[in-house]
Amino acid sequence: MAAGLRAVRRWGLVAAAPPRLAFTRSAFVAKKANNAQPNWLGVGLAFGSSAALWGFLIKQHDEDVAEYERRKRARGRKCTGCS
Amino acid sequence: MAFLPDESRSLPPPPLFNKGSVWLGFVGWLASLADNAFNQRPVIRAGVHRQILFASVGFFVGYQLVKRAEYVHAKVDREMFEYVRHHPVDFQPATG
Repeated sequence: MAAGLRAVRRWGLVAAAPPRLAFTRSAFVAKKANNAQPNWLGVGLAFGSSAALWGFLIKQHDEDVAEYERRKRARGRKCTGCS
Repeated sequence: MAFLPDESRSLPPPPLFNKGSVWLGFVGWLASLADNAFNQRPVIRAGVHRQILFASVGFFVGYQLVKRAEYVHAKVDREMFEYVRHHPVDFQPATG
């Protein structure tokens, strides 16, 4: 613990250069991110997932509205105290 | 307990664009902009597919949360009105 405290103090006193990569990963598996070339697989997955999410959400909303209307009709005038 | 029990479908569903869904969609979009900033990319021009995905996920989560919140509020209201109905003596209008 004392060694760790000494190390922290050393890092605090010496201003380190900010790392170029945003995240620190093992050098054995990390690749430098290339933002110039589109990662078409990632783009396709992102747009596909967004389209799936929106489709599911809109379908679920329409089903909810239909189910609410159906239950309201089935309940009829039985319960006047609730909404 | 289920996130959205079956009886929650007896409630009118909230509109698709409600406070929770719009706000969390906006927060998701901001998160994608922050991701651009942290990875030293142009903040709004980069990763439009990412911005759309994050905003969509936020919108979706916000909508589900609002549905659950409305269900919980309705359930609590129902229990409260049932209690009031069963204890009329405690809830007379003030006579002074």
